[in-house]
Amino acid sequence: MPNRVAIVGIGQTYHTSKRPDVNYAEMTREAVMAALADAQLSIKDIEATFMASMETFEAIYLPDHEMAAEAGFFGKPGLKVGTGGTSGASVVAEGFYFVASGLYDVALIIGSEKQDCGDTTAAITAAATPMWGKGATTGAIGEFAKQALSYMKTSGAKEEHAAMVRLKADRNACRNPYAHLKLGLKSVEEVLKSPYLVWPLRLLDFCPQSCGACALIFASEKRAKKISKKPVWLVDIETVHQEVFKAGVFGDPTGKETYAQHVACERLYKRNGITNPRKSIDMAEIYEPSNWEEMNLYEHFHFCGKGEGWKLIEKGVTEIEGEFPVNPSGGVIATNPIGATPTIRVAEAALQIRGDAGEHQVTKDVKTAMASALGGPNWTVLSLLKRSL
Amino acid sequence: MAKKKVKETTEKTPKKEEPEYIRIKFNQPRRYDWSTGKYLGHFYAEAKENKKIMGTRCPKCKEVLLPPTPVCGKCKVATGWDWVEMPQTGTVFQYTYLVFPLWDPHYGERWANPYASAIIKLDNGVFYRHFLEEQDKEKLKEGMRVKAVWKEDYNERGQGPGDILYFKEIGKE
Amino acid sequence: MSERAAIVAVGQTKYHPNRADASEEELAYEAVKQVLEATGLALSDFDAAVSCSQDFWDGRTISNMNIQHVVGAHLSDEDKVCEDGINAIYAGMARILSGHHELVIVVAHTKESQAEKSLIENAAFDPALLRQLGLDFVSAAAMQARRYMYKYGITPEQCAKVVVKNRGNAKKNPFAQAPLDITVEDVLSSKILSSPIRLLDAKPISDGACAMIITTEDRAKKLTKKPVWILGTSNCYETHYLGDRDLAECEALGKAARKAYSMAGIRNPMKEIDVAEISEEYSYQELMWMEGLGFCGKGEAGKLIDSGVTGMGGKLPVNPSGGVISGNPICVAGMARVAEAVLQLRGEAGDHQVKNARVALAHGITGACAQHHGVMILGR
Repeated sequence: MPNRVAIVGIGQTYHTSKRPDVNYAEMTREAVMAALADAQLSIKDIEATFMASMETFEAIYLPDHEMAAEAGFFGKPGLKVGTGGTSGASVVAEGFYFVASGLYDVALIIGSEKQDCGDTTAAITAAATPMWGKGATTGAIGEFAKQALSYMKTSGAKEEHAAMVRLKADRNACRNPYAHLKLGLKSVEEVLKSPYLVWPLRLLDFCPQSCGACALIFASEKRAKKISKKPVWLVDIETVHQEVFKAGVFGDPTGKETYAQHVACERLYKRNGITNPRKSIDMAEIYEPSNWEEMNLYEHFHFCGKGEGWKLIEKGVTEIEGEFPVNPSGGVIATNPIGATPTIRVAEAALQIRGDAGEHQVTKDVKTAMASALGGPNWTVLSLLKRSL
Repeated sequence: MAKKKVKETTEKTPKKEEPEYIRIKFNQPRRYDWSTGKYLGHFYAEAKENKKIMGTRCPKCKEVLLPPTPVCGKCKVATGWDWVEMPQTGTVFQYTYLVFPLWDPHYGERWANPYASAIIKLDNGVFYRHFLEEQDKEKLKEGMRVKAVWKEDYNERGQGPGDILYFKEIGKE
Repeated sequence: MSERAAIVAVGQTKYHPNRADASEEELAYEAVKQVLEATGLALSDFDAAVSCSQDFWDGRTISNMNIQHVVGAHLSDEDKVCEDGINAIYAGMARILSGHHELVIVVAHTKESQAEKSLIENAAFDPALLRQLGLDFVSAAAMQARRYMYKYGITPEQCAKVVVKNRGNAKKNPFAQAPLDITVEDVLSSKILSSPIRLLDAKPISDGACAMIITTEDRAKKLTKKPVWILGTSNCYETHYLGDRDLAECEALGKAARKAYSMAGIRNPMKEIDVAEISEEYSYQELMWMEGLGFCGKGEAGKLIDSGVTGMGGKLPVNPSGGVISGNPICVAGMARVAEAVLQLRGEAGDHQVKNARVALAHGITGACAQHHGVMILGR
């Protein structure tokens, strides 16, 4: 029988645009120490350490090596993974496999990125294949702009709806002490005054570049119950990568291709007996790099029917007080240290299950939560978390 | 449901004296010498020698793959050596107009801005991403008929997709 | 759910100083094709893939986008491990033992010829303190070699014997890049790279790829008559700052090895291991790693190489394939050691076969002065 895996410690840094006061190792250490404090463990209790980061952002070839002492690798087994935007969830998956397999009983999982070190857009543009991609890469922003255009066309969503998503994210971020962008946005009109970056994406529609780290401590069942009074069970994980779409990177404007998100949630739901996600899952922390994409993801994950994502936001269904809260943390649009972002989604979902999310705790009781990650090209990782087995 | 009283944390903390942080600047070109290999190499050769755009056909799904590749990712089978010449004309399927300059990470230069890039549906149905010649945002539209414009000087070619300068609206030659 | 994981097929490209004829995806696919042909499997049969490459070496952010199609990652699980390939096998094994996946393909690739080794390696060092010293892995290794030789009286001749043995062994390995018929004098008169490391004391630049298929006990028995079991494995990190460790010791290797031995039930490695493939990027490393692996006491590896015990005819042949020093790229090197160990255990090592190999040890390293070690014990 595979071991059951629980999250027994959660820690993150206060995410922000620049951290000139710390180097990458020190910043990562903050999250590690916070997770250890949360679990009331010491680094000596950790049996293996796993990390995710996109090292091209910091121009550090082997970041896990550089922070071996600070982040808890020294003298321990472990490794680093990298899958672009989903790295922070791929490391959660690694932790899941290594603990479920019985190879380790207590593992430290770290997602970390210090984007003030380098040029994020240049590093993302370098994800294009060097011998083909120079032609017409537009960076992530261009790709999400195209996706927003498609969504507008196919669903009938208006810019007002995207603005409502942005408002929700900001309202939630203002209640989350760890979130990066806390703008105090007051109205749809205010959002619609924001200038266009790449039409139809406005400056406010897109996620920031943040410096931040998030650490989780995983434990096998027998250890979890001793370490934590409120272990959060990481019940299942589904990673789905995919070939680049023919006519897009994060979206398929032809409407003919298969989305990793669909395949991932169909597999995850089937394995876990979920036929009605809105009923079986209580809330979700999803990786939405733009507000338009959030509405699209509601549809991808079957939180609503096709073309209806904008209705959920219009009706307030996904608010903190709503019937199916999504991103009570403020989401990616408020905080995006790329290597850490997917880990933060899992951490935030776990905090909700524990009832420890403070001011951004959702009103309804959360027994089951889902976290998603997104990377290039449209790679997806889903995590299913539960309060009890 | 009664609304819980929430503590807003948007109050800006008073700005304290920022200490001077010592930063390390690191600016170093790192050179690469990539091989195009057999498949992309054939594309590059045909572009340079004959100003042709070549794709490989997957034996299973029969789709033409651009860029050419040894394995059809979706079918997960080897593509063999079945080459198809692409038409040089197509229709703009989707375009984006970039206003801020991007760094070209491979050459360290700033790309001139603004510029338009597009996904062009070549006349045989295959999608191809490239630049558009039109610099005026108002004149760009989906459905525009465009044609590839090549670097005419043989010695300047050998950049693969870069051998095509841009796609220009047909009727504007 | 499987109690143990087996390797059922391995593939390697012939290592080469400059595969200008192949792109990274084509190179990786050469290795992948071998394991598909050996088992009759198709890429669509796999539940998951674990890839191994470095963004800095490929010159591309998210370097697994380069090879996702040749490992069958479309609509499937894939992850990229950013350490030496032996760790990608470990991650593959974790997938099997967790019960989440049953059939995993693991692929490593790097084309060292396409990038600037010194600059990339320099970027591994902490920017504030070490990078500006102009360190790369050769100069760091040179410091380690100097310290090791000083502390234990290991001689340059003893290091050179590693090169003579391994480059000679490589003559019998069809995948080896650079077999050489040389003497200790040849090594000692080759030009200095970074004292005391000479040109022939260092591995050459190499392009290559390696692939293998890992699966459950049940599936292994159906896919091959000769499954190779992963009996024990672990890895471990050293600290980063070179001054924080005694470079003459490799405690991280000791820890990884003890854990792997314990899992495999090995108490006396010298007696119970029949063949070892260890990652010696520089000649002195084979000596140091043998001590870390417990083949002999600290400082005694010089005597071990002098005795001939680790030669092809000896009690514990080390690197019958020619090892990393005969030419293996990073990421691939440790996985290639496992591949060679698998060939030995299956009796398929041809002219470099060690007789009656039943238990093999493979080892991989990552980082400056091997800051990260991975050890794997395999058996029939």
